[in-house]
This record gives sequence, structure tokens and C-alpha cells, in this order.
Amino acid sequence: MAPSDATVAVALPRSFSSRRARELMTGYLYLVPVAIALGGTIVVPILKAMHMSLFNYVLIKPQEYGFVGLGNYTRLLRDETFWLTLWNSFVWVFGSVSLQFLGGFAAALLLHQSFRGRAFVRTVTLLPWIVPGVVVALVWEWLYQPNYGVINDVLLRAGVLRDRVAWLSDPGLAMPAVIATNVWRGVPFFAIMLLAGLQAIPEDLYEAARVDGAPVTRRFWHITLPLLRPIIIVATATRVIWTFNYADLIFVMTGGGPANATQITSTYTLLMAYANLDFGYAATLSVVLLVIMLVFTVLYLRVTRGIESVT
Amino acid sequence: MSRGRGDTAERVLRGPVLWTGITLLTLFALGPFLWVFLTSLKTRADLYATPLRYLPVELTAANYADAWTSKLTPFSRFFANSLWVSSVTMVATTGVSILAGYALARFRFAGRNALLLVFLATQMFPAVLLIAPLLSQWYALGLIDTYQALIYSNLSFTVPFTVWMLVGYFDAIPRDLEESALIDGCGRFGALCRIVLPLAAPGIAATAIFAFVTSWSELLFAITFTTQTEMRTLSAGLLFMVGQYEIQWGQLSAGVMISTVPVAVLFTYLQRHLIRGLSAGALKG
Repeated sequence: MAPSDATVAVALPRSFSSRRARELMTGYLYLVPVAIALGGTIVVPILKAMHMSLFNYVLIKPQEYGFVGLGNYTRLLRDETFWLTLWNSFVWVFGSVSLQFLGGFAAALLLHQSFRGRAFVRTVTLLPWIVPGVVVALVWEWLYQPNYGVINDVLLRAGVLRDRVAWLSDPGLAMPAVIATNVWRGVPFFAIMLLAGLQAIPEDLYEAARVDGAPVTRRFWHITLPLLRPIIIVATATRVIWTFNYADLIFVMTGGGPANATQITSTYTLLMAYANLDFGYAATLSVVLLVIMLVFTVLYLRVTRGIESVT
Repeated sequence: MSRGRGDTAERVLRGPVLWTGITLLTLFALGPFLWVFLTSLKTRADLYATPLRYLPVELTAANYADAWTSKLTPFSRFFANSLWVSSVTMVATTGVSILAGYALARFRFAGRNALLLVFLATQMFPAVLLIAPLLSQWYALGLIDTYQALIYSNLSFTVPFTVWMLVGYFDAIPRDLEESALIDGCGRFGALCRIVLPLAAPGIAATAIFAFVTSWSELLFAITFTTQTEMRTLSAGLLFMVGQYEIQWGQLSAGVMISTVPVAVLFTYLQRHLIRGLSAGALKG
């Protein structure tokens, strides 16, 4: 690097090298606003969370404020609710993402066909994904409502249920109920990602297979699936990370209840900060979330790198 | 195309299976919204009738009027707050990410690739992780119940994605056009404004709408950084309506429709651009 710079400086007139320096200065100058925007909202808060996690810091108990070293972390290790939230997070992510994938794949295959009104159906399919999270949560709370909810009513009329069910306050049903809501919200994401993938597959491949007499199922297994593999992996990885962090739905629908049956790690962190105002412990949970996130992200980048080098 | 020559399985798939699937898909996506829309038009009598009345006997707009003018949960105020917070976030995000996106697309400085990676990673950054430190930060600065705190916090989730999208758009614009402008004595900033921005206009519009819509939907910052009713956004207002002593499902459904329609309209318009950006971003990794 250095020798070539020196030769350039010698070989070219001074004005040119100073122009280059000025150009670079301009480049850095253009990055100042983004540094301010993300410095104050991501970088500083993360450093602050690490610092806060070392203190006993409950907003409504200022007299107890003080340095506790790793005290919050030992509390975390002994906190049974925390370990429960990790397990719940796993159920929540696995249940949501696998069903979203299946539903989204089916929807993508449908939307890839040509039929009248396709543009309309496509837009409609996207709706659950684009509306605010709190809207999704409230819409489903209303559908699940024990006395006036349409779900109970339909199931009773169809004879599936004998009695009204309190979907969101039954410890055994609450998690499946919030997962079902999240599946509804997430199907469009997989649908559009996989649709984009399907549209990128050259039609000739199918033509050639058809000429060779390969039936539709063979074409699906031997052309569609292998060629969609990269986008399936990327979309699933993105979705796993996102679902793990997603707190809005559960927070609004059950608040993590009943009896922590739907408490995932991200809603637990949120409640510690928002309801208990226990900033020290919330910050500790944030640091743990951050570590989990970093592991996920490194894995994600390795997976996508792998795909890039193959394609 | 050799139509009609497909095997039986294929003919069944293209016929009855396709149409059943499309009907189910439409119902699946639209059904819950239709139910809430019907709810918002029902009178109390229709709403709490047993057995359940699916269609309202008597149509009413009272739920909308009540939600809009209610003293406890004034949706007119929430709407104005959401509009202001989302608009300013949109303008700030667009300004910041045009400059950053341009710099990353055009200047080859040290650490450029690392920076791009940071923008990709922060896109997946959870808001919950930032709540505790940001809340204590805004307390310390006395910025609880201000628009500034909300707008500034919103940049944490809009900017990483918009910068990433705009780098892609700017990369696609040929450099020659700017080079000639630069030689003609235009400064870098002049070249950016006169040459690059007009060409990238569709991409910039898409990122701006994206910033608006995501801020409009934001919930967690809005409930933690505000305490007064007058400062609540639509998302926060809806949640606090549930916190009231008895849930008024008619009014709540009207509130849901009020919050949903603007984003639905904007997104429908944005669809094509956003999907392209999403799949491109995902594939680039």
C-alpha cells in the first residue's frame, strides 16, 4: 500500500493527490450524519447496557442503587424464569418459522401460476405482513375472544368444540394460539421471498424436463427445490433471528402469561425494563440477547457466504 | 408451449387445486380484517348478540366518530402524533441515508466493507435490546414525552435498512455521468444533487415510504418513551385502549381500521420496489 502511494505522489502533480485527499474527506464527511444517527441510538445504548448490567439499578428504588459486579449475571443463572423463557423462545421460533415456511411455500407456488386477478390476490396476501404488529395482535385477540370471538363460534357450530375455549388464558393453549397468529403474520414474508426465487428459475429447464416426460412431482423435486435452496436458507435464517427477537405480538396478546406460559426471552427483557423498571437486570438480559444475536449473525453470515461462493 | 399435453396430475393441479388454493389463501389473509371491519360497523346490540350475528343488522359509523373524538383515547390526537413522528423520521432517515449510501457506493475508503457488514447486521437488531439503555438515557436527558426522543430512537431501525438499499441503487447508476459533471466544475455535492438523485428517485421514494411505514407501526419505543395520553402514537394508543377498564371492541375495531388503512395504501404502492430490494439484499448477504 505505502510504496504505491509514494510513487503516485511523486509521479503526479501535487494538486491531484490533494484532490484525492479532499475526495476522501468528503466521503467521511458524508458519513457523519449516519454516525450520529446510529451512534446515539445503537452504539452508545449497547455500551450503556453493558455498564448498567453491573449495577443494582431499579428506577423506583434509588436508595438501593450501587455497583454489584457480576451479581446480575449470577441472578440470571439462578433465575428459573429466564431458563423457561429460553425454552419458550425455542418453541416459539421453531413453531412459527416452520409453519410460516410451509404456508408461504404453498402460497408462493399458487401465486406463481398465471390466473385472472393474480395482482389482486398477491396484494391481499401481503396484508397480514404489512400492518402494524399491534393491529395483528388486537385483531386476533378479538377473533380468540371467548364469548364473542368468531373462532369459538365457528368451531362450536362445526361441532369441533363442545364448550367455549379461553384460548389466550389457558396455559396449554396460549402458546399454540400466539404461534398461530404469528404464522398468519409471517406467511406473506416467505411467500414473496420464495415467489421471487421461483420467478428467477429459467422456464427452459421445465420445458426440457417436460419434453423428457418428467411428471410434475419429479420436476418439483429435481428442479424447483434444488434451485430454491439458497433463497430458502437465507429467508429461513433471517426469519429465525427476527422471530427470536419479536416481542410485540406476545406482549400485546398475553403479556407473557398465563403464568409465563408464553414468556419468551425478548418479552421478559421488555417487561423487566418497562413494567418492573429494573434497568440493571433488563440490561443484563439485553447483553445476553446481544450475545445470542451475535452468534446467530455469525452463523447467518457464514451460511450466506457459503451460498455466494457456490452460486 | 405444449398446453393440454400435461399429465393428469398436472391438469388437476392447474384446475380445481389451484382455484381452491387461491380461495383459501384470499380468505386466510383477508378474513380476519373483514371480521374487524364488520365489527367496526356494528352497534352494541349487534356486537354482543347471542348467537353471534356475523353481519350487522344496522350499520353505524358511531364507532369511528367515538374513537376519533374520545377524551380517554383521542384517535385524532394519536393520528396527528403518528403522522408527525413518522414524517420527521422519514425525512431524517432519507437525508442521512442518501449521504451515507452515496459515500459507500462511490468512495473506496478503508473499512468500507466492514461498514457495509455493520449495516447488514444492525438490520436484525432487536428493539427490546435497546429499550432499557435508551429509556434510562432519555430519562437522564429529560426527553421522556417528547417527539425528539421517539424520532431519534426510530432511526435505529430505519437507517440500517435504507442505507443498505440505497447503496444498491447508487451502485447501479453509471459513474460516467457524474465524472463529466465533476469535470465541468460541479462539486461532489452538486453532482449528487443534479445527476444522481433524479436517477435514483424511485429507489429513494421506496426507502422513504419504508421509513414512514415502519415508524408508523412502531410500538415498543412509543409505549416506553411516552407517559402522557397527548403524546401517544396510534400503535401506543391502541394498546392503551385495551388497558382501559372494559374493552370497547367496536371503538377498538374502528381504531384498528384507522391505523391500518394508511400503511396498507402506501405499501400497495411500494410493493414492487420493496420486494426487489428485499430479495436483492437477502441474496447479496
